[in-house]
Amino acid sequence: MTRQAFMARLMEGLRGLPPAAQADILADYNNHFNEGAAAGRSEADVAAGLGDPGRLARELRAEAGLRRWEEQRTASSGASAVFAVLGLGAIDVLFLLPILMGVASVIFGLAVAVLAIFFAGGVLFAAGPFAVDHVPGGAAAAILAGIGLMTGAASGGAVLSIVTIGLVNALVWYGRLHYRLLKPALEPQVSGGVQ
Amino acid sequence: MPEAIEIQLKKGALELCVLALLSQHDSYAYEIASQLSDSIGMGEGTIYPLMRRLQTDRLVETYLVESPSGPSRKYYRLTEAGKASFTSQKSAWGSFSGAVESILGGAK
Repeated sequence: MTRQAFMARLMEGLRGLPPAAQADILADYNNHFNEGAAAGRSEADVAAGLGDPGRLARELRAEAGLRRWEEQRTASSGASAVFAVLGLGAIDVLFLLPILMGVASVIFGLAVAVLAIFFAGGVLFAAGPFAVDHVPGGAAAAILAGIGLMTGAASGGAVLSIVTIGLVNALVWYGRLHYRLLKPALEPQVSGGVQ
Repeated sequence: MPEAIEIQLKKGALELCVLALLSQHDSYAYEIASQLSDSIGMGEGTIYPLMRRLQTDRLVETYLVESPSGPSRKYYRLTEAGKASFTSQKSAWGSFSGAVESILGGAK
């Protein structure tokens, strides 16, 4: 592979990273080719020594994705961490995908249910007192039941997000375990797995 | 898949080797890569993801040095945290590899 082809494939693979990080990484590899040339090696030799640029880009992206998830626990950083781990090929995707899909749809279903209960509670709370004839127990009971449903839904939602964060953490931990096998084995007390 | 196991083993050891090299003297990525690929047969490219991770973990820091040939080189040196990490990883590696060694020795 020529230097140009290597850099093009690397750049392709790095798409999606912050521009500054991309420029930094590309500069590192460009430097490597310069050093190689200065040492009298051919472009093809240096490129072969570097390895597969696609694989390198996946590793660099995965590390960036995992770090983003550790810094900010948002839905998008969680999703990118999951995809980064899958992209590594550290986990057998074919084996894991059905499980992952199942878990994701259960979480999604529960989230919809939690939202529905919350809104039902809201409706009962707001409209209940005006429909006293149809509500057993009168206006006060309707208001209390509405509040009860809403708080129940809110705590359900909180539990659900804790569980989701835990699951993503577990996946990230598992991916890392495969990705750098010995590090957690050497530092069980530091890495500690799922926080 | 013996190759996969070998790659994973080398990858785990790579960080320790890089820390060991840097504990002897500051160095730049090309030098580290060529030293390690000669002795443990790792792809030279894997050094860069590793150096980035060490940098974000604040185990190493960089500084630029003018090079006689061409552009300035980015040198890496261990931080205090890096030195501490090397010491603890080295002793952990010693006891771990000693344990593996004795088990392997028993299973002739």
